[in-house]
Amino acid sequence: MNNQKFFDERYDVIVIGGALAGLASALTLASKGKKVLVLEQHNLPGGVATSFVRSGVEIEGTLHEMMSIGPKESPLKIRKFFDEMGVDIEWLRVPDAYRFVDGKKKTDVLVHPGTHGNFETPAFEIAQACGDSDGSVFHAILELLQLCHRVYNSVNVLSVTHMSKARMLIEHPDFVRTAGYSAKEVIDTFHLPDTAVDILSAYWIYVGDVIDNLPFTVWAVLMADYLGYGSYVPAKFSHEMSLKMAERAMEMGCQAEFGIRVDKILAENGHVKGVRLMNGEEIQSDYVICSAYPDKAYTSMIEPLSEVPDGALKFVNAKTVGVSCFSVVMLLDQSPEELGIHDYSTFYAPHGMDLNTIFEEYATEGPYNYITSICTNLANPNASPKGTCIYSITALPRPEGWFGVNEENYEEMKQKNAEYFIRMESERLGVSLKDHILEIVIETPVTISHYTGAYQGSVYGYMHTMDDHIVARLQMSEAENYIHGLAFAGAHQISGDGMGPAVTNGRKAAKIILDMMEEAQG
Amino acid sequence: MKVRNFIEDVGGASRVTKRRQAVYDKASNTPKPFDPIGDTAKKLHPGFIDLTVTSVRQSGKDARTIRFTADHLPYFKAGQFMTLRMKIGDSIVTRPYSISSAPYETRGEAPFIEITVRRPRKDGFAADWLYDNVKEGDTFTGEAGLGEFCHEPLRDADRIMALAGGSGITPFVSMAKEIRNGKMKADLTILYGSRNEEEIILKEELEECICDHVRVIHVLSEPEEGWTGETGFLTKELIGKYTQGDTSYFICGPQVMYAYMLKQLEEMNVPKRRIRCEVFGQAADITKDTSYPSEIKDSVFDLRVEQGTASQVIPARADESIAAALERAGIVIHTRCRSGACGICRIKVLSGRYHVRTENDGRRAADKEFNYVHACAAYPLSDLTVKINIPMQ
Ligand SMILES: Cc1cc2nc3c(=O)[nH]c(=O)nc-3n(C[C@H](O)[C@H](O)[C@H](O)COP(=O)(O)OP(=O)(O)OC[C@H]3O[C@@H](n4cnc5c(N)ncnc54)[C@H](O)[C@@H]3O)c2cc1C
Ligand code: FES
Repeated sequence: MNNQKFFDERYDVIVIGGALAGLASALTLASKGKKVLVLEQHNLPGGVATSFVRSGVEIEGTLHEMMSIGPKESPLKIRKFFDEMGVDIEWLRVPDAYRFVDGKKKTDVLVHPGTHGNFETPAFEIAQACGDSDGSVFHAILELLQLCHRVYNSVNVLSVTHMSKARMLIEHPDFVRTAGYSAKEVIDTFHLPDTAVDILSAYWIYVGDVIDNLPFTVWAVLMADYLGYGSYVPAKFSHEMSLKMAERAMEMGCQAEFGIRVDKILAENGHVKGVRLMNGEEIQSDYVICSAYPDKAYTSMIEPLSEVPDGALKFVNAKTVGVSCFSVVMLLDQSPEELGIHDYSTFYAPHGMDLNTIFEEYATEGPYNYITSICTNLANPNASPKGTCIYSITALPRPEGWFGVNEENYEEMKQKNAEYFIRMESERLGVSLKDHILEIVIETPVTISHYTGAYQGSVYGYMHTMDDHIVARLQMSEAENYIHGLAFAGAHQISGDGMGPAVTNGRKAAKIILDMMEEAQG
Repeated sequence: MKVRNFIEDVGGASRVTKRRQAVYDKASNTPKPFDPIGDTAKKLHPGFIDLTVTSVRQSGKDARTIRFTADHLPYFKAGQFMTLRMKIGDSIVTRPYSISSAPYETRGEAPFIEITVRRPRKDGFAADWLYDNVKEGDTFTGEAGLGEFCHEPLRDADRIMALAGGSGITPFVSMAKEIRNGKMKADLTILYGSRNEEEIILKEELEECICDHVRVIHVLSEPEEGWTGETGFLTKELIGKYTQGDTSYFICGPQVMYAYMLKQLEEMNVPKRRIRCEVFGQAADITKDTSYPSEIKDSVFDLRVEQGTASQVIPARADESIAAALERAGIVIHTRCRSGACGICRIKVLSGRYHVRTENDGRRAADKEFNYVHACAAYPLSDLTVKINIPMQ
């Protein structure tokens, strides 16, 4: 169009993807005075961290709980980062950790988080649910959670500090000693009643493989953060967080463009050279941060593909893609009190907590028997108009289960699962949800893929397993920068999935690039 | 304290690292991207498609039905709309049209998709142009399968009552055809208001759909002599007469119809969740909106448009949306619903004042805080600077 030029010839760094990780990268780089271009294919920032509007009501798209925020006066990692960057988000504290309901064993317990890393409340509540008569269960749980806390503190230090092995052993002994074990192996040494293990496993699906094959380190971080400090949500939904990050990045001088898809990452002699857009336009930069999955980058985006070393292909082929998401989000025509909904978040296992069975089921097209329900209004009373509430039901199926999806059967797969969830939750709550639905939106792996382009519709990057242990990821990370000048940001990176970790991953990508720049300057 | 002996083990980190290395060593170095979920997403949501007009037929007084085909027509849901991008003079405009053919017709030997365009009584810019000019062989780009005006079995009653007026009949023709062909499980009663018999559009198509699960009742407000059917407006009495049991009411028609219909349904104590309204476009005359400062209504403002590092100034009439100003200037702006609801035309106002009508304000709360507007639903009240997306299409 009349020869307008929309981009500068060259940028210090081009960030592909304006979701949480990409925006965290952009903020970090801009704060160091780098000239950054962010290119996002969707017309909104945030990727899955977004909301939508139906009949004039804004509804959270995905976020259940944001970790690592903490109270204003003693901020945790992510809130601290936002504070440092000048991203001012109104955080609301989520009142409970979760309610856990096991339909088979008839366990039903509401767990509250502690504050400031104190675990007595959740330990007590979980112990009570196991009929703890002499306080021994309470003490064992407390001890386990305190171990989680020490590992968590170590991870927070070690993820930003290089340290010798000897020093690590002295200063972070519990981190070192538990590093080789699965969550299950460590938990077992505390000889807890089965019910306590079930309750403590509730969050497992948010991070990776079943607890037998899930690194304890990952599980510990999750437990310490959620149960020791509680979680938060933004008052104006996750879009508030995404938008404020994008706005702040632009204020700091980033050029952020939406509705722009990057087609290729240009490389030459093992170095990144820039990107090519869908319309053929090329923009130069020696550094690119890519939010697309490495699978996509190494098999279709790098141009020419001959620049992709064998190691990079082995890297992606060795990985297991993490879970996707199936979510039924509803606007209901009564308040939570009227509907008898009292808990912000509920984990429900109608047929019991056999994690292997649940996880196998997650690899099918459904229906799924482990769900998380969220009533947004219980953390955010003004989330929807008076006399209504927002209620969502989510399962995290693995991509495999949806490989058979096609245009013809999609609607049926969607309806079948959604109907099952609504029925299951109606029975648990003792209220027919179907008779209260003002709006309903069903999100599936296909929806995720459509909006974000995520490989196989996965929201959780690569699965945390004992074969792809976070400690090993950290140790091997340097050797895994296969193309000079290229870093990745997203759930597919070291810290893995979740909105908090996404921010951490984005900062890490920026750090990798900044180090490379420094090195190049000698 | 129990002894947790393995915790004395300090070799864990190197063990898991060796383990990870072993998996890596064994992995293949052949690229094998495999993403059937992504492939399905692309088929269902192909974005802009190239459409070719295969026929144009008169389907009522002042109404023409346009049939398109394309390399791949995506599935859509009965009731949804599509958009067409048109180059008219120097303008590049996009307009939404409900799809009047049925989803099943996008499949089979000779797949097609149809819209039915009515020539407005008043001057219409795009509608007139399309009605007068479209012919077999024309090509357009557009998007199909948009909007939320469809029957959702998990939310809606199995019985649908369509309350249609004028060209608002089109989405219901799609539903009726789909039901008639056994592809959609629902029972549909259409109350279709027209001025007189001559003004009824898609009359034959509707008649062909009548079956056990599809009824069509014409309601004429100015009937000719000899009309034995229903007359007047779609009143609560009339709606009550044809309602049987739990019913979801779907409203689509001229803008003035919505407030009237909602009042009727409210008086019948129909619960909110049983009422669905199609998005209804913009106010016919924004300058008559309450809170609109009418003293500026004849102004033409300077609209500075920033796209990436480029910037230009174009005129923007006070009585037209920012989207319209952009389109007049030949600047491509991605729009779909033209009603302020879908948000695809979201842009940022960097400086200046603007007006958004409450009924068309589908913005997110955080967007409002940062002066993002939906360009199709925002009107300039002063000189403005906006940042819009760089065109890629
Ligand atoms: C969901 C939905 C479904 C619909 N379905 C149907 C359907 O099935 N059948 C049907 O017939 N109609 C349908 N419509 C209406 C259809 O989209 C109309 O064609 C559209 O509203 C344009 O009408 P118009 O020509 O009267 O208005 P226009 O005059 O085209 O549009 C008015 C706007 O165009 C601007 N404008 C005027 N001149 C110019 C210029 N030179 N350059 C650029 N902009 C200019 C004006 O400022 C104003 O903002 C539907 C609308 C919606 C929202
Ligand atoms: S086109 Fe849908 S909001 Fe403007």
